[in-house]
Amino acid sequence: MGKRKTPVSKPNESERQASNPSSAALYKIIWRWHFYAGIIFAPFLIILAITGSVYLFKPQIEQALYRDYYTITPQVERITPSKLVGQVKELYPDATIMKYRPGESDSRSTEISLTSGGESMTVFMDPYTGDKIGELKDKDRIMDKIEEFHGELMVGTIGDRIVELAACWAIVLIFTGLFLWFPKNKNKSKKKRSLAGILYPRFGKGKQILRRDLHAVPAFWIAAGMLFLIMTGLPWSGLWGSNFQTVATNTGAGYPPSIWSGSAPSSHVVQTKEVAEVPWAAENLEVPNSTISDFTPLPIEDVMYVARSEGIHPSYTISIPQQADGVYTLSAYPPKAQDETTMHIDQYSGAVLADYRYDHYGFVGKAVALGITLHKGTQFGIVNQIFSLLICMGIILIVASGLYLWWKRKPDHGLGAPKAPAANAKKTRLFLLLLIAFGILFPLVGLSLIIVWIIDYVIVRRVPTIKNFLNA
Amino acid sequence: MIIKSRIVLTVLLAALLLSACTASPDAANRYEKEIPLIAEVNIPETLSIHQPETIEITLTQDGQRVPDADFVHYELWSNDGSLRDPMTDAVEVGDGVYTVTKTFDKEGLYFIKLHSGNNGSIIIPQKPFAVGKLSEDELAYLQAGTPTFQEGTAEHHH
Repeated sequence: MGKRKTPVSKPNESERQASNPSSAALYKIIWRWHFYAGIIFAPFLIILAITGSVYLFKPQIEQALYRDYYTITPQVERITPSKLVGQVKELYPDATIMKYRPGESDSRSTEISLTSGGESMTVFMDPYTGDKIGELKDKDRIMDKIEEFHGELMVGTIGDRIVELAACWAIVLIFTGLFLWFPKNKNKSKKKRSLAGILYPRFGKGKQILRRDLHAVPAFWIAAGMLFLIMTGLPWSGLWGSNFQTVATNTGAGYPPSIWSGSAPSSHVVQTKEVAEVPWAAENLEVPNSTISDFTPLPIEDVMYVARSEGIHPSYTISIPQQADGVYTLSAYPPKAQDETTMHIDQYSGAVLADYRYDHYGFVGKAVALGITLHKGTQFGIVNQIFSLLICMGIILIVASGLYLWWKRKPDHGLGAPKAPAANAKKTRLFLLLLIAFGILFPLVGLSLIIVWIIDYVIVRRVPTIKNFLNA
Repeated sequence: MIIKSRIVLTVLLAALLLSACTASPDAANRYEKEIPLIAEVNIPETLSIHQPETIEITLTQDGQRVPDADFVHYELWSNDGSLRDPMTDAVEVGDGVYTVTKTFDKEGLYFIKLHSGNNGSIIIPQKPFAVGKLSEDELAYLQAGTPTFQEGTAEHHH
């Protein structure tokens, strides 16, 4: 089939056009937005779907990659965590110890995270022998790279904003797409209502129809899943997500403070004059008073004792306080959202200053937390992973078939965009208002709309070549 | 009119974008709250051997003194291992003040570790102190800042 010289109407469009001009205008404008948003964001959606598919299997991939670091032979006696930390300090004299992860089972190594010479790494230790098993630099963690790609296209904040923008526009794509897909029987013919081209593709009606069906039908099937992945991913985004989380936290509906936004409590520090700030490191070795210092920070053992008695999931990590009023933070993010914990412990007294479990999250926080474990595919294990993988595959399929559909319909010259209708029909205005409302709800979308309008106003309307090319 | 509304919209969006909301400092009050027990352990300015010395512990919780705490125990040990008192009850003297009385036989570096709980909050703070003069070794030990964990103590809590 050769390329046509003029943009091709979608199948069935002409019927509608005849029956109701206002509906036809609405159909055209929605198609137009779907068309442009689709072409612009197609590459990003494919990137997100591919990196997402890989990241879904992070637990299995990391288990395979780092098996030698993770697995140890259980023995009868463990050496004390303090000694283990001491060992690491000897191996890395200039390092600052940041985290301590005891390990969730008898055959799991202990992980000590540190920064040394500006580099962050994890040192894997055998808690029975006290031997170092290996080290892994953060920058060498392949799954972190995938995550960075997925979350910010590996270019930091700008990438984060692009991903957020693509995700938001994907919502527009889903709804405009559903509108275009929605079966319309305006001509009230007594034809038998067929689900062909709606729930399953029409194979016998020519290539043009089949191409349309191969985009629209699978898109309908995965729309809900795709929307779910977008909505559960958005709370992570840098702009909309962090504002959303902060508002939720501040109103008591979200995560308690310090998990996403807000700060952790601080340890109780006694302000006594006679206690020097760093008495033990003082050059003067004389100790004039009995009081050498106030309370000393708890040894890791005691922190682990608190973790055990508070019933924290054994996969927890202890963040080591780096300041005098800092706290030990115990955090556990196991596969199921219901097992999550963030607990802040006074570094001197061991008092639990804040105990935030899933049950203590507000209803928005609970929804976001569940959304995250579902998005990452950990909540329901392998079933969850396969389900999410299918959605990702579906996204790749419909983005590709959408692009293919455009490519085949596209005339030799020009983009082949649907013609812009006059924006005066009531229904068309309603759609634009909806779009503006969406732009207010998602400021990045709003910003992109403003930019589109400025470009349209300043350039497109004044330069006939561009105007023709874009079919504006 | 359309242009006007676009300007309004632009300003509105810019405001939205720039005024990224900040976390409220009292957001924590809207979630599960803990009321931590706070202990102050007062060591007399100088401690000597062969005479009873008293260490005072003051407990507060939620800004109030804590008389009749659920439990107030302490462990006492010397750095050189010559003294190792098992978990002992502190004596309540009223108004949230508890005392530990001890006669030390030897000068040197000691540690006291409190185990106390009240109304759901448990604390296990630990404090070093000197009786008389410290030896060179003990000073060096303090200066090294090595962790001071006594093996086997952590499991004795309530």
